[in-house]
Amino acid sequence: MNVELKNQFKTKIDDYEPIVGRNVIDELKLLGNHLQGKKVQNINSTYSGGGVAEILTRMVPLVNQLGLDVSWDVITGDDTFFDVTKKFHNALHGRQEHITESEFDIFLNTNENNIRRMKLDADIFFIHDPQPSALITQRSAVGGKWIWRCHIDVSHPDQRVWEFLNRFVAKYDAAVFSAPAFSPKLPIRQFLISPSIDPLSDKNKELSKGEIEAVLHKYGLDPGKPMVVQISRFDYLKDPIGVIEAFKMVRKGFNCQLILAGGTANDDPESAEVLNDVRNHADGHRDIKVLLIPPGSDIDINALQRAATVVLQKSLKEGFGLTISEALWKSKPVVASAVGGIPLQIINKFTGLLCHSVDGAAYALKQLLGNPELASQLGENGREHVKQNFLITRHLKEYLLLFIALNHESDVIYL
Amino acid sequence: MFEWIQENWVTLAVPAAVFLAFCIVGLWARRVLYKRLNKLLIKSGWGGREILVQTSRGPFFFWFMLLGASAAIKFSSLSDEAQVLAGKIIGSIFIISIIWLLLILTNRLVNIFLEEIKSPRPPGRFVTNGLRVTILMLGVLILADYWGWPLTPVILLLATAILIAVVASRDIILNVFSGFEIAAARNIREGDFIKLSTGEEGYVIDMTWRTIKIKTPDQHTVIVPNSKLVRETVINYGHPLKKAEKPFRFYTRLHLKELTGLKAGNLTELVNILKSAPDSVIYYHTHHFLEEHQFLTPEPSNDFALWVEDSLDDHVLSEKLANIDTFAYFSLEELKSTIVSVIEKYIAANPASKKAKAENDFHFIKSNSVVIPTPYFASDLREFVEVLRKITIDSLYYHIFESRLRLQKISNDFSVWIRDSFGENDLADKIDGLVPYTSTIETMRSFIIQNIEKRIK
Repeated sequence: MNVELKNQFKTKIDDYEPIVGRNVIDELKLLGNHLQGKKVQNINSTYSGGGVAEILTRMVPLVNQLGLDVSWDVITGDDTFFDVTKKFHNALHGRQEHITESEFDIFLNTNENNIRRMKLDADIFFIHDPQPSALITQRSAVGGKWIWRCHIDVSHPDQRVWEFLNRFVAKYDAAVFSAPAFSPKLPIRQFLISPSIDPLSDKNKELSKGEIEAVLHKYGLDPGKPMVVQISRFDYLKDPIGVIEAFKMVRKGFNCQLILAGGTANDDPESAEVLNDVRNHADGHRDIKVLLIPPGSDIDINALQRAATVVLQKSLKEGFGLTISEALWKSKPVVASAVGGIPLQIINKFTGLLCHSVDGAAYALKQLLGNPELASQLGENGREHVKQNFLITRHLKEYLLLFIALNHESDVIYL
Repeated sequence: MFEWIQENWVTLAVPAAVFLAFCIVGLWARRVLYKRLNKLLIKSGWGGREILVQTSRGPFFFWFMLLGASAAIKFSSLSDEAQVLAGKIIGSIFIISIIWLLLILTNRLVNIFLEEIKSPRPPGRFVTNGLRVTILMLGVLILADYWGWPLTPVILLLATAILIAVVASRDIILNVFSGFEIAAARNIREGDFIKLSTGEEGYVIDMTWRTIKIKTPDQHTVIVPNSKLVRETVINYGHPLKKAEKPFRFYTRLHLKELTGLKAGNLTELVNILKSAPDSVIYYHTHHFLEEHQFLTPEPSNDFALWVEDSLDDHVLSEKLANIDTFAYFSLEELKSTIVSVIEKYIAANPASKKAKAENDFHFIKSNSVVIPTPYFASDLREFVEVLRKITIDSLYYHIFESRLRLQKISNDFSVWIRDSFGENDLADKIDGLVPYTSTIETMRSFIIQNIEKRIK
């Protein structure tokens, strides 16, 4: 399925100038000049929900504006395929999963079906995450450079699943990871590119006080009571149960409320079960609000983050954790687990507080709720850190550099 | 016919004689008057003398002929009505000839006048056409009045035509009036370096009453309408400064991180991998912090010191590694040798070094650099300082700090150019003295700009 974005996305590359400066935009255009007309085909497994789809929605039109010819296709598969890939996802994060031979076959057959259905035509194929990774088998037929963009942490994967996937990954020209610790040993070039947030998207743009209050009113939240907010899809790896436990410890000493808000993704069949579990754990506590945010409610998420007193991200495993960059961009103090790509965003005690347990999360929350000056300083540092390193303009620049680097072996390239 | 002439020869001869007399007087008057006029104009030194004399000589005689014709009609045997009609026709021809002469003179004299105006140059065609239209309109009004036609419809028609013309060319008119204002104020001249609040900047290379052209530091020519120039805030930095023989070309160096797959969990592993690590790895771990965390002051010195501190909890070695001045080295190989030597000496003295937790391993990353020429050039210090305001921190970093590795000495691209091109040794020394440990790259940018501004004020 080809994702058509031209009419949905109105942001122009120059619109970022007031945020990042003219010089950064000029640099992107300079790079774009060296890649004019290059055809890039992005392929992933969902067009909505989750960070990958979100990044592609914003990124693809912007790269096109720089003179490249970028398209985005989504593979199709039935529920059994997505059940299998969810198991892959968990297994790659190191969780024990029982995967049968027939489930491996479902993965292969779905990729085969997509190869027959999909038109592969580009100079560079940009394959996102494990779901469409077996498309590489068409490499000899369609040519071009192939990049596997891994958005998850595969540093300690289930060996059986990894060995299965590695058959395909090893055939790519390069792999891209979000953090140094995410990458396993591979026989191909591996690049490090952090994901990013878009400061002009509905999820991150500035909101008025009235807009924020309207959202709080919509979800029945008390604007007068300090808020601890975790925004993430309902997934055990985000440890929503641990968040509730930590909050209950904090609530004993601080009059505050917990907002657990998130949605579900098309490629995650487990999220409904997690949501029920979370509701059961929160049941009866009047200061814990579990909000199922429907897809496309980016303004609501933005408002909840802006209304937060402290933002929490107590993941057990994390790809990169873009919700942290979102919160930091809004100058919010953040408490987050030291997993995945989070330490790249949270420099402990400088741009936020890192924790390693439920107790650690509770302790850090108490520190920030009880010390607004520290909270404010961390928030301001965090915003500057995101501005320098985790905005979409930096991401765009590194993708363009990657496309250039694919055709050069040397460490220094003179254009 | 012959008989008719014999009978009426007096009726014909008198008007003919009168006409001839006027022609003779006209020739005589033209000779005398133009001789005097010529002398007078030569004395005045007016540049349009020849044009005025040459252009009006013919019409002057023609007017005497018309006068003669008019007088001849009075002496003719024509009826009163015919005489009045003939008189009106001759009068109209006279008015038309004057208009015709004025049109020709306008064209020629305005060009002379415009050529004398150096800057801003008015748009010749616009001025000439404006004057022509005005003369033609006046001519039409005089003729209408002369023939006794009602003037109101004519005036209304002309007013409508003027209104349409004004609306259609309002931008041009606005620009021309702005051009007048700029010319009268004399605030901007060709050769000045100007900067508009909307961002356009460069040397003024041409000025007309409608637009000015500026040459920007990225070698583009920008045409700015005069109305915009009057509306916006304009900083005029004045006349060009001394030009460098060789303009400074600004480059930028962008980095892409490549994972090597190598990682170390303790000091021995770290030093063993370091020994065979390529320059691009050393470069990354000793330079990237400055760019990625340039808002921090002071920035951590290098990744090795940071890792030893955070993951091995070894403060002494961390301090030793942090104390290595990355920017005092002219080659990465040399820098690597120093780091290796510090760690090896430390291991020798402290063989029981700690091991980092698995998730805290040191991951060796190398920097893939792409060096790109930017569109910016500077041929003098004014252009240089204006480009400095625009370039990215990557470009600044490339020219200020990385240059030491290329130049193999404690200097930088900016200082070398400033010293070699202008002999500004003090300024160059100040830039040489910049260190990345006490200020951010943005602070350094401001420092250089302020010092150059002070020098070229």
